Amino acid sequence: MPTDDPDGAASHSADQPQSRWNDMMAFLGSWSKAWITAASFQLVVVVGIIDVITGYEVSVSLFYLLPVSLSTWFAGRAAGASVAAFSTVVWLAADLVRRPHYHHPLTPLWNALIMGLWFAVVVTLLDILKWTHANLEATVLQRTGKLRNEIEGRCRVEDQLTQTNADLRVIRQQLQESLDDLRKSHAELQHTQLQLIEAAKMESIGRMAAGIAHEVKNPLMTLSLGADYLFERGSTRHDEVELLKDMKDAVQRASGIINLLMDYSKPRPLQLVNEDVNSIIESSLELMRHQLIKHNVSVVRKLQVSLPPLLLDQRRMQHVFLNLFTNAVQAMSGGGTLTVRSRAEADATSEAPGGGTAGGAGRVFVEVEDTGPGVPQEHIASLFEPFFTTKGPGEETGLGLSIVQRLVTIHGGSIAVGNCPEGGARFVLTFNYRTKG
Amino acid sequence: MAAKRILVVDDELGITRGIMMNLEGAGEYEVRTENKARDTLTAARDFRPDLILLDVMMPEMDGGDVASELRDDPVLKDIPIVFLTAAISIEETGGHEKVSGPMVYLAKPVVTSELTKCIERHLRQQSPS
Repeated sequence: MPTDDPDGAASHSADQPQSRWNDMMAFLGSWSKAWITAASFQLVVVVGIIDVITGYEVSVSLFYLLPVSLSTWFAGRAAGASVAAFSTVVWLAADLVRRPHYHHPLTPLWNALIMGLWFAVVVTLLDILKWTHANLEATVLQRTGKLRNEIEGRCRVEDQLTQTNADLRVIRQQLQESLDDLRKSHAELQHTQLQLIEAAKMESIGRMAAGIAHEVKNPLMTLSLGADYLFERGSTRHDEVELLKDMKDAVQRASGIINLLMDYSKPRPLQLVNEDVNSIIESSLELMRHQLIKHNVSVVRKLQVSLPPLLLDQRRMQHVFLNLFTNAVQAMSGGGTLTVRSRAEADATSEAPGGGTAGGAGRVFVEVEDTGPGVPQEHIASLFEPFFTTKGPGEETGLGLSIVQRLVTIHGGSIAVGNCPEGGARFVLTFNYRTKG
Repeated sequence: MAAKRILVVDDELGITRGIMMNLEGAGEYEVRTENKARDTLTAARDFRPDLILLDVMMPEMDGGDVASELRDDPVLKDIPIVFLTAAISIEETGGHEKVSGPMVYLAKPVVTSELTKCIERHLRQQSPS
């Protein structure tokens, strides 16, 4: 094969004589043993004639080796031996024809014997060489066969390993999927368990609330009606009138607490419509305006424009924000800043939430921050528990934030509380959104 | 103008008395009270009220059963009934009575002014003239 590689070219030219030799040997090998033997005998005769013609030339004697070697190599030891014997006879005949002057009449016979022995040695050596060559070839073939088998075996093992590896990958993927399913089921189970605990808690609070409502509201109504009567027709003294007003206020406050408890434990269906959470924040701030001014609280709005719409019950979400804003105002007794932020984050697999027209899913965050003292670390875990309050008896029911959390949760959202690095409490509300493309 | 007759049925003596004193004090109502639910039908037949204020949760017989008996009576069936109940909150009623089908509910504790408004509204509906 022609090549530009000088090494390749050298190798190519070196291979050519080898190839020719092999071709010739193969050609001779294709002859039958009888033909080879016959040709060898003829060649001996030719060499003998040349020997006679040329006279006694030692170099010519060497040519007898050619038919001997050919017959031995290609026709076997017996053929070689017979050709060697024939060559000896021919050589003797040629020697006698030439009639050289020997000192002893048996010298030609002695020379012929030496020659015959020489041919026998060549035949034997060639036979050994051929036997060794055949053995070597057999060994090489055997080893090649073994190597081939070994390579084939290794290939089979490699194929099996590749197949096993692929199977393992499939099994691993299936295991991963099973693990994911298990994790999902576990999370769902945990969620369901929490919901069951929550439902059980709500049921017990509901039962308690219904009992309290019946047992407390009737005497409250008696008090209320009595106070009404006395207020309208009873006393005209200023202090007595004030006392009656206080009584009526007390009845209303007690009634309010029971109503709060009843509303907390008895969820009513949501009136869900697509709402812009910013507009609910704004309307809640508007409702709080007088209270904010009264307590010297300034408002900072950082509301992202064109938030994706959320499915919300407008009245209840307003309740949530009013509660959080009231909490913030109460936390900043000497005044401060109320910061309200809103922003949207699209899911990684979804489109950017740039406006309600784009399709996609993600989350909307609303943050409410104050500049008050913040929430003590030990209170953070219990802040949303029902009846948890840090205020004195009669000042607060401890249901406000619990109701806020409940309202956010039934909207599919979540609420978390923490402290800002620069101080003050921060409530973060998270809602999921999904808009149609 | 003749005083409107109001029958107040509640097992709480303080409530029936309080309602009676407040309504009669206004001078526009004649009030009869009944603290036993089972005697409501007899009291109504005897008193022939223009409107009945009926407590929902009472021992022996609840307000719903009493209302059924009244609706089954050919003479009393058209008398408007306003239920007084502790089972709903003022938040649920929006501060006023709650109308659920033919039923009208007032959440306890109701103040006299709200009670009077509710009575007037339903009396007007009863006799539009």
